[in-house]
Amino acid sequence: MIKLSNISKTYRTQSIETLALDNINLEVKPGEFVSVMGPSGCGKSTLLNIIGLLDEPDKGILHLEGNLISGYADKKTAGLRNRMVGFIFQSFHLIKELNVFDNVELPLIYRKMPSGERKKRVYEALEQVSLTNRMHHYPSQLSGGQCQRTAIARALAGNPGIILADEPTGNLDSTVGKEVMNILTDLNKAGTTIMMVTHDELLAKTTHRIIRLFDGRLVG
Amino acid sequence: MLKNYLRTFWKVARQNKLFTFLSLFGISMTIMFVMIFSMTVTKVVKGSGPEKHLGNILVAENMKVRTQKRGGNEVFTELGRTECEEYYKKIKSADKISMFFGYDWEFRQNGRQYTKGYMVTDAEFWEVFDFDFILGRPYTKEEVTNGANLAVITESLRELLFGNENNVLGKIVQYRDFSLTVIGVVEDIPPTSQNLRSGVFFPYTLFPAEKPDTRSFSPYSGAFSLAFKAKNRNQFPEIRRDFQATLQRIDAADPNLALFVAGPNTQWQRLFATFDPEDDFGPWALLRKYLLWGFGFIFLPAVNLMALNFARIRERGEEIAVRKSFGASSAVLKGQFIFENLVLTVTGGVIGIVLSFVVVALLGNTLNIPVKAGTTVPMSFSFDFLVFGITLGVCLLFGMLSGVLPAIRMSRMKPVKYLKGGEI
Repeated sequence: MIKLSNISKTYRTQSIETLALDNINLEVKPGEFVSVMGPSGCGKSTLLNIIGLLDEPDKGILHLEGNLISGYADKKTAGLRNRMVGFIFQSFHLIKELNVFDNVELPLIYRKMPSGERKKRVYEALEQVSLTNRMHHYPSQLSGGQCQRTAIARALAGNPGIILADEPTGNLDSTVGKEVMNILTDLNKAGTTIMMVTHDELLAKTTHRIIRLFDGRLVG
Repeated sequence: MLKNYLRTFWKVARQNKLFTFLSLFGISMTIMFVMIFSMTVTKVVKGSGPEKHLGNILVAENMKVRTQKRGGNEVFTELGRTECEEYYKKIKSADKISMFFGYDWEFRQNGRQYTKGYMVTDAEFWEVFDFDFILGRPYTKEEVTNGANLAVITESLRELLFGNENNVLGKIVQYRDFSLTVIGVVEDIPPTSQNLRSGVFFPYTLFPAEKPDTRSFSPYSGAFSLAFKAKNRNQFPEIRRDFQATLQRIDAADPNLALFVAGPNTQWQRLFATFDPEDDFGPWALLRKYLLWGFGFIFLPAVNLMALNFARIRERGEEIAVRKSFGASSAVLKGQFIFENLVLTVTGGVIGIVLSFVVVALLGNTLNIPVKAGTTVPMSFSFDFLVFGITLGVCLLFGMLSGVLPAIRMSRMKPVKYLKGGEI
C-alpha cells in the first residue's frame, strides 16, 4: 500500500519558488494499477519521485507497504528503493556501457545477492518480457520497444511490490506502446502495484483508477 | 559487483578515448619519473660493486666548528687527520674503520684533458669496501705508515693510461708531484656510489700532516670521511654512541671551540643530510622539506586528473541517477568511482613502470638525475620491494587524491535532475 498524507514539495532556485505538490493526500491499495495524469509541470513526476524515495517532501507523511518513511538517510532510502520499488522511465535510462543482462542485473547487485541466484532472476525477468535472445546486446543495438522491455525487466527483476512508470510508452509508437502496456497489465494481474504517469487518456482508461493533478494539487 | 564496475570502466574508457589517453599519459609519466628516481636512489643507497655491503656501513663526514662554546662563528669542514688517527679509528664497537677522502683529478694524456677521481685512503679502506682485484693487491698497513709511493688504479684508468697493456703492475702513474707505482688494478666503481671515485687510490700518508694551529679551528679541520663497517645493523647504535662520546671528549678538551658531527649516518640518512650536522633530518623534517617536491610531482598531475574526473561527472549523470534509482547508496557509488580511478591509476602505473625500464635501458648511461643537493648520478636500474612499494604507494595515493573528491561530488548528485531532464 502507498499512502501519502499532506505531502507538499516546493522547488526553490535563486529567483523562483515553484510549488510542485501542494498538500497531497492519496492512498493506493496493494495490487492497484493507477494512472497519474495532468498537464506538463503539474507535479506528476515529482509525485512519483517522492513515492520512489528519489526526492524528499518538504512536508507530510509517506507510508510504503506499511512502513512509515521517517527520515531520508541515504543508506536507508537506497535499501528501501532497492527492495520495494522498480522504476520505468520514458527515456528508458539504460546504462549504455552495460549489456541487457547487466542492466537487468543492476538492482540485484545492490542487494548483494549470490551470483547464481542473480543469474536465475535476470533470466526469469527477461523471459517475462521475451528478451532472453537479446541478453548480450547493448542498448545501442536495440529498438525502442526492446529498450523499454529491458527497462521493465530491470524494474521487476528485484521483485518489488511497487512499480513506478513515468510515461513508459511516451517514446514508443502505438503498437509497441500497446505491447508494453500488455506487459504492465500482466504484471499488475500478478499482484504488482503500479503507478503510471501518462498523457494518453486511452491508456489511462485501461488502468483501475485515474488520478489527476493540476498545479500540484489533486483534482480528481 | 566488481565485474560490473570493471565492465563499466572498460566501456567508459573506450568511449572517451581522449580522456583515457590524457589520464593514462599523466599517470604513466608521473610513475615513470617516480620509478626512475626511486630506482636510482635505491641503487645509491643499497650500493653495488665494491659497496655490496653498504647496508652495514656508517659514514661520518661533515663537521661544524663553532668558534665559541656558545655563539661565535660557524665553520663547516670535514674531519681532521689527527682526530681520525688518534681518536675515531680507535673506537672498538665497529668491526673495521677506514679514513679516506677523494676529489677530482684533472690530467692530460696524449694531448687530451681528462678528469678522473683520486682517493687517498688508509689500508683498512680495502677491508671496509669489497673491491675485486683484477691484478695485484692493495697496499698494506705498514706501507701506509711508511708513506709508500704506491697506487691502486681502476680498470678504466688502466685502459686510459696504458691502453691494451695488460700487466701494468710496476708501472708509474704520475699524480701531481708524486710518482706512484701501480701495485693493483680493481674493477671500476659504479657511478652511483656516494663514497668512492673511480681512478687512482694511494696512501693518505703521502700528504704531509697538517700543522696544528691553535689560534683557529684548524686543529680539528681536515678533508677526511670515516667509514665504520659493522657486522650487522644492530651494532649501529653502539657505534654512534661511541663516536659521539669520542667527539665529546675532543670537544671537552678544547676550552673555546665547539664541535659537531652528525651520525655516523647510514646511506639513507646521508642522502638527506645537509652540510650542517645540527640540521634535523628526521621524517618530519624530510616531509616538510620535500613537500613541495612531492606536490610538484604527485599532487599537480593528480589535481589535473581530478579536474578531468569532475568534468566527467556531468557526462555520467544519467548512469549515476539510474544506479541510485535501483538502490546504490552514496557510499557504494563513491566506492565504484574510486575503484574505477584506482584501476585507471594502476594501469597507468604499470605503463609507467614499463616506460621507466625502457628509458633507463636506452638512456641510463647518458642522463644524470639529482639524488641530493649537488649530487647527480646516472639513471639506474634497481627493482626491489622498496621500489615496488614506493611505486604502488604513489599509484594508490594518486588514485585516491584524484578520485575521492569527484567521487564525493558524484555520489551527492540528485538523481531526479538526470532522470527526466529536470522536469518537475
